[in-house]
Amino acid sequence: MTSALKNRKTWFNPWLFFEEQVTVGIELIGQVIRMWIATMGYIVRGDFDHIETWRQAYMIGVKSFVVVAITALFTGFAMSLQISRELVLFGADTAIGGVVSLALIREIGPITAGVMVAGRVGSSVAAELATMVVTEQIDALKVMRVSPIQFLVVPRYIAGLVMMSVLSVYAMAIGLVAGVYIAGVAANLPAATFLDSVKQTILDRDFLTHFLKSEINATIVIMFSCAIGLNTRGGAEDVGIATTRTVVWTMTLIFVFNYIVTSLTYAPR
Amino acid sequence: MPLPPMLEIVNLHKSFGERQILKGISFKVYKGDMLGLIGPSGCGKSTILKLICDLLTPDEGEVVRWSDDIGLVFQGSALLNSFTVRENLRLALRRRKLSNDQMDGIIIEKLRLVGLTDYIDAYPTQLSGGQQKRTSFARAIVNDPKIILYDEPTTGLDPVMSTVIEDYMIELSQQLDAACIVVTHQYSTWTRTTDRILLMHDGTSVWEGTPDEAVNSENPYMKQFAHATREGPMMSTLL
Repeated sequence: MTSALKNRKTWFNPWLFFEEQVTVGIELIGQVIRMWIATMGYIVRGDFDHIETWRQAYMIGVKSFVVVAITALFTGFAMSLQISRELVLFGADTAIGGVVSLALIREIGPITAGVMVAGRVGSSVAAELATMVVTEQIDALKVMRVSPIQFLVVPRYIAGLVMMSVLSVYAMAIGLVAGVYIAGVAANLPAATFLDSVKQTILDRDFLTHFLKSEINATIVIMFSCAIGLNTRGGAEDVGIATTRTVVWTMTLIFVFNYIVTSLTYAPR
Repeated sequence: MPLPPMLEIVNLHKSFGERQILKGISFKVYKGDMLGLIGPSGCGKSTILKLICDLLTPDEGEVVRWSDDIGLVFQGSALLNSFTVRENLRLALRRRKLSNDQMDGIIIEKLRLVGLTDYIDAYPTQLSGGQQKRTSFARAIVNDPKIILYDEPTTGLDPVMSTVIEDYMIELSQQLDAACIVVTHQYSTWTRTTDRILLMHDGTSVWEGTPDEAVNSENPYMKQFAHATREGPMMSTLL
């Protein structure tokens, strides 16, 4: 055996791995914060491409409608089935609509839309921008004195903010339709009773929390995917790594921030 | 009285991590000049172009430009795939705040120079490698730059297309009267298109002269590079 092979580190060092991950994570968060500040500067000045923003709204929002609908529909089915079964046991079947709608508006709607957009849009944005980096398209923009943040990030961010709210409301509506149907089938609950319970339970602040979560999710998905994509170096393999990294970071942060917002708005006082 | 240079490279140093790519290179490029930067792969040629365009920052030394109007033809064309040829060229014209009609007038004029007016609404993926390269040329000259940089303009092209591209380079250089730098290691490209040659090796300049002088040079570096032989001083750092 050669000395080079003998000296090779073949064992896994958990501390070194942890240290490396923390450093990389802090670096990424720094890049995201810098990018967000620059993006907000362009938005405040109204200095962005409107046509590109519409195009991105179509790519991010309209193209996500089917996948969000399917996910929300089956989540609504499953959740309504579980809730109906339990509440019927306690004779509280008139509360099914309220409980289902609370879960949908506070948690399931924003989470479903957020996770689906992170998976479909976040990964594609990161892959697209990373490919643009490795094929020198970003360098070409810089030579033409076109800011990559102004041209690529700002339209995606504005489109993400608008379309994430639309998708969250849409997911909530589809989930409610699924809830009404399952409550009727599983608990013989009339649609009018279900909807009456919804009206009595939902408050204005539930909608505010819903939109707040949607906007936070949009910020997480667009900013992290753009930062990871634009800071990719290397070749085809690194594009794949950037895509995976984006999905892991955005999905994890969506759940973390969802809990933070919930704990700040609904914690018992 | 000699012409003032359009571009002056002064004692440039650049490292990537432990690896020192440029070790103090200096040269000047004048208006109407076509300077060939030649040398083996990894000797720092493309790094110089990136430093000139501010895509990288030098560790030491400076790039003195007498004009900020720079056009760069990338090795891989670097066209935006989700945009048509027209939209790619419009991007380069954005900062001039022209109307769409004014931009289209300029775009058609430049596409005519490279023989691509029929492809104005095509996407880069619908073009051949040579057509993409010519679109990249049109994009680089759309603002009538005073400095044009070509990064490996004929690498990866067949010999016929290489000749077509070289002809365009000669024609554009005469029409625009710009200061040009051609980074290449293709023999036909540097012998046909350039007025002066600067041979680089291991991050520094080892020979300078005209293409004719280069071909007949007795300088060990130039002789090895021009005749593509294994024997010579370049081997030690290449292997």
